[in-house]
Amino acid sequence: MAVSFALSSAERLGWCFLRPTTAATGFRRAAGNSAAASVSVQDGHRKLKTEADLPEIKIFTMLYQMLFKGYLNSVHELQLYQKQVYGPLWKINAGNLQGISITSVELLEELLRKDEKYPCRGYMTLWTEHRDLRGISYGPFTEEGEKWYKLRAVLNKRMLHPKDSLQYGDVVNAVITDFIKRIYYLREMSPTGDLVSNLTNELYRFSLEGIASILFETRIGCLEKEIPAETQEFINSIAQMFTYNMHVALLPNWTRNYLPFWQKYIDGWDGIFKFGTKMINLKMEAIQTRLDTNQEVAGEYLTYLLSSGKMSCKDVYGSVSEVLLAGVDTTSNTMLWALYLLSKDPAAQETLHQEVTKVLKGDRIPTAEEVNSMPFLKAVIKETLRLYPVVPVNSRLIAESEVIIGEYLFPKKTTFNLFHYAISHDEKVFPEPQKFKPERWLRDGRTRPNPFGSIPFGFGVRACVGRRIAELEMHLALARLIKLFEMRPDPTVGEVKANFRSVLVPNKKVNLHFVERQKTET
Amino acid sequence: MAAAAAVRAGVNFTQRLNRISPVCRVCPLLRLNRCTGAAVRRAVDGFSAPSRRLRTSIGVCQSEDSSAPEEDAHAQEHIVNVVYIDRSGRRIPVQARVGDNVLYLAHKHGIDLEGACEASLACSTCHVYVSSGHYDRLPEPEEREDDMLDMAPLLQENSRLGCQIILTPELDGMELTLPKVTRNFYVDGHVPKPH
Repeated sequence: MAVSFALSSAERLGWCFLRPTTAATGFRRAAGNSAAASVSVQDGHRKLKTEADLPEIKIFTMLYQMLFKGYLNSVHELQLYQKQVYGPLWKINAGNLQGISITSVELLEELLRKDEKYPCRGYMTLWTEHRDLRGISYGPFTEEGEKWYKLRAVLNKRMLHPKDSLQYGDVVNAVITDFIKRIYYLREMSPTGDLVSNLTNELYRFSLEGIASILFETRIGCLEKEIPAETQEFINSIAQMFTYNMHVALLPNWTRNYLPFWQKYIDGWDGIFKFGTKMINLKMEAIQTRLDTNQEVAGEYLTYLLSSGKMSCKDVYGSVSEVLLAGVDTTSNTMLWALYLLSKDPAAQETLHQEVTKVLKGDRIPTAEEVNSMPFLKAVIKETLRLYPVVPVNSRLIAESEVIIGEYLFPKKTTFNLFHYAISHDEKVFPEPQKFKPERWLRDGRTRPNPFGSIPFGFGVRACVGRRIAELEMHLALARLIKLFEMRPDPTVGEVKANFRSVLVPNKKVNLHFVERQKTET
Repeated sequence: MAAAAAVRAGVNFTQRLNRISPVCRVCPLLRLNRCTGAAVRRAVDGFSAPSRRLRTSIGVCQSEDSSAPEEDAHAQEHIVNVVYIDRSGRRIPVQARVGDNVLYLAHKHGIDLEGACEASLACSTCHVYVSSGHYDRLPEPEEREDDMLDMAPLLQENSRLGCQIILTPELDGMELTLPKVTRNFYVDGHVPKPH
């Protein structure tokens, strides 16, 4: 799809005490040789093909596959079907969806290694049209070129540098503490005394509270018994924008005046920016008050952005709202899938529980540093992101030169659709791809998968700016929940599958039993 | 009113920034390593005071600060000699100091070691090979460095990311070889020699 979104959910990475053994080392060399082998193909003086030689999907085929073959709600699964039919590379020419689709890890690696100095995500028209309409600045996902690079250089500080992200440990832990209180409250309200219903919604509130605490340096009340009205309106706006994004992407522009989807889509964006702007204005007023009374201006991320002098107010509105938006659905959905997968895999859950309790004796709360020394915890998140990449499709526009991918020569300004879902479910990359196997990610000497097989944050300098925060949030939350509760599935729910709503969401409400663990275990 | 707050705060930051940049960029004495004592003290003062307040500049200030010449008596104790071997095979000896970062050190000496994500651990363009005698003296990489290294082209057993290597006395004599390719080897058209 030409539609593409930033990634902001992630694994936490940490110290690996085991030195790589020969097997792992051999794999690394093999990876290098594989790249070399790819290069040698170029020197064979073979006649290169062009995109005219590729299989092509046009609008009617696309609509047929989505409507009659039933892929409308599971566009990610459509990647697998199309891959079977068309092979690793094909062309899409269907309304607003344009580009070359890539579904093999080798071709993906080849493309990403040819990133330009300012990598281009591709035409984010669906996002930028609203900005242009309302006069709002672009942000890290919508800006391009050198301006994008300068914007990212400012945003990266205090957010992407590893030592900076550790500073947010206390903020995140405070939010998790309130989330756990809410879990206890919900359990007590339930018929069995341990059931949490509609976990999707609860994790959404947790995730929003977490990212907002960091970005706006204030709590917005998502974990209260009653959510403040403005916060609820913001949540609804995000859901609305994502829901109608696909409709708008598929339908030609002339339908916008006749069908309701475009207006609903724009209203969603309006709600998002209304909330973000208000929160930023509150912080600006607070800063002004401190300046007026000659007090020190101290703070974290938003204060840094506002006081750095490197971004205009307009830029701050555009960027912070974008980071906020990308941080909520992605993190909450990954947490949901992780808890769901663990509830159905008692052995993996117990392995994780043992690891957490070994590091956290007694009632202690983990620090950001301590989750670094929990490799299985991080592997659980990585495997969850492989099975349910929150952004199953991304894109890249090679703007400045023609590019050779595989046996094909493409002209400059070609858009590539990166079908991450198909790649992360490729059994040649991940044996038993449908199975939840966190151990595949451990660095204990085993042969590890091709690293390009699952890149939920993207690759290189255009990778997600919020990855450290998302990692921190998920690792701390998962460690603390697993320490306190055993997750068990609700038998009445049955199997949960993924629906595509620009991010992968569960196709039904998910309830889980949070069974309190006996104290003697800790 | 809110706009005024940001403007005033921005002005404050700009004023502080101005105190740093002239010294960083203009002072030829520092670059030429010919300084009088007074110049040394003035430069050091200029760096250290702002860096305590400007958190966002700490990395850069530390890098610059550690390069300031010190009195000879102490200087010898902190010198680390390393050799960069660039992509054409040319050997470039560099006299560095304890605490220097390998990536920033390369930039300072005009060595073409890319650092696209500015040491955010988000890319692997500062990939280097470490001489085998010194590789084991480096601290084990954190898993997230390993995750980035996995994606470096032409990975070897002795691969590390330059931005994560901080010089210590035991690394004296280390050789850092730049891989023949980093990000764009498909574009460059270069064919690396198989090992």
